[in-house]
Amino acid sequence: MSTQPRLPSAIPDQPQNFATVTAHAPDLMQRFFDLYAHFWNDDVVGAEIKEMTRLRNARITDCGY
Amino acid sequence: MPTIDALDAPSQLEGILAHRPELLAKYRTFYQSFWNDGLVPRRTLELCRRRIAYIHDCAAELAVTDADVSLTEAEELALAHAQFDAFAPPEQAALVLAEFMPFSVHQISDSMVSAVAEVLGESGCVSLLTALSFFDVNCRMKLALDIEPQAAALTPTHLV
Repeated sequence: MSTQPRLPSAIPDQPQNFATVTAHAPDLMQRFFDLYAHFWNDDVVGAEIKEMTRLRNARITDCGY
Repeated sequence: MPTIDALDAPSQLEGILAHRPELLAKYRTFYQSFWNDGLVPRRTLELCRRRIAYIHDCAAELAVTDADVSLTEAEELALAHAQFDAFAPPEQAALVLAEFMPFSVHQISDSMVSAVAEVLGESGCVSLLTALSFFDVNCRMKLALDIEPQAAALTPTHLV
């Protein structure tokens, strides 16, 4: 597994991270962030449950990010 | 799980997501993006979508076909058996990533991603990786929800 992002930052003089790398496709990522924000802001499922399942999923997939 | 027939929901998955209409709307808007943004050829996306569906053995996802991309029987068989040399080199590069996305994401190498970035550019690479993730998501949702295969030739304006 790579120890640093595999694509350069799309924003000059900014380090590589999730936001700056995905900025290569800004319209797509804006829609993704809109969707993702909806998951968190929608209160049908409580925030604690969502956070627990998010962390558990990260553990299962071994995603350090 | 009961589906909702209203809200312009042509597929069972959309019918279920329609219990949360705002979620369905945002998911559709997002899902349409990589099909319509032109960063990755539609045929490449369709090949990858179907390959991921084969990996998951997701009949519901395989029952759906892109109305504007038709694959030959030989190509379909090649996809089913991960025989990527049947496809053009840029498609092969994308299919290699698709192969690893569902269950072997930690085995994706720098060179695999570079190969895609070389043919699609950095924008296309981001779009493809996002698309692969959500093809995987769609299969998992359909399997978890036990959605029946529903033959449909859909355009990418629909969330399948």
